[in-house]
Amino acid sequence: MMDFDVLEFSKMLSEKKITVIYSGPIWADGVEGMAEFLQRKLDVDNLSRTVSKSIFSVFVEQMHNMLMYSAEKEIFTAEDDDDAVLSKGMFVMGKEGDTYFIKTGNVVTDYSAGVLKERIDYLNTLDKQGLRQYFKEKQRSDDDNPESKGAGMGLIEIARRSSSKINYKFTPQGEGFKYFSMSVEI
Amino acid sequence: MSFYMEKQKTGSTPYILIDESKGYMKMSGKSFPEKALDFFGEVITWLDGYLATDFGEFLFDFAMEYHNSSTLKVITNMLMKMDECAVSGNKITVNWIVAEDDEIMIESGEDIQEDVHNLTFNVVVVDE
Repeated sequence: MMDFDVLEFSKMLSEKKITVIYSGPIWADGVEGMAEFLQRKLDVDNLSRTVSKSIFSVFVEQMHNMLMYSAEKEIFTAEDDDDAVLSKGMFVMGKEGDTYFIKTGNVVTDYSAGVLKERIDYLNTLDKQGLRQYFKEKQRSDDDNPESKGAGMGLIEIARRSSSKINYKFTPQGEGFKYFSMSVEI
Repeated sequence: MSFYMEKQKTGSTPYILIDESKGYMKMSGKSFPEKALDFFGEVITWLDGYLATDFGEFLFDFAMEYHNSSTLKVITNMLMKMDECAVSGNKITVNWIVAEDDEIMIESGEDIQEDVHNLTFNVVVVDE
């Protein structure tokens, strides 16, 4: 798109108080790199350890959720000819006054949308103590593989670290898919 | 031959030291691998074998700066197994080492402390 104006886009981001934005492929090593970058940014902002770690934690859990749930994939051909199938997603962070906001967006299947909606709705009914208790139950449960059920604890962790409820929206994206956008404040 | 393993930390995985001859394990750094169970697989396999022996005394220093939720799940499973085995002559001490202003890690240590009965679980607060 030749008529895309970077300056206009940049102005729009500052108006919306957005300080970090990423849109593109998401893969595990990429999350590590972005996490390092985010950590540096948080160090510069000179936050309390709890706030800084809460933001970092929400970032990591949301990225892992996107790795797991994103239904939009891109195939990248690596140099050694091993094709890598990567999830696609979007990550936005900003600061308005003293409040940080983190938003993510990615395409999910209708099935995942149903699971996510049910989980988030339940988490939004719990207060901080309830979330701590619920997290603890999952932490103790017998299924060994934390990733097997997909994002169970990750979403609870996000809810625990947020000062707001988890806001979300599902927008139909053709047959069988929805665009999942999610937003929390810290 | 007793088991020895030392893994350097990366941006998303922790430093791990296991020195079986000294009955010692240590973890530090950050941990948020994509698949926590796979990453800790070798440690879990060793620990399962070790806990089945008459090991005598075992010390685990957990000085992690940050762990994601699936890492915590894997670590909790290890601690629960340790708790079951800290009986009849086998003594296990876990030091959950945290910075004094790190409310999140202190809380997560306290939540584990409530659920272990046989091993000695210390939340060690350090001034950084």
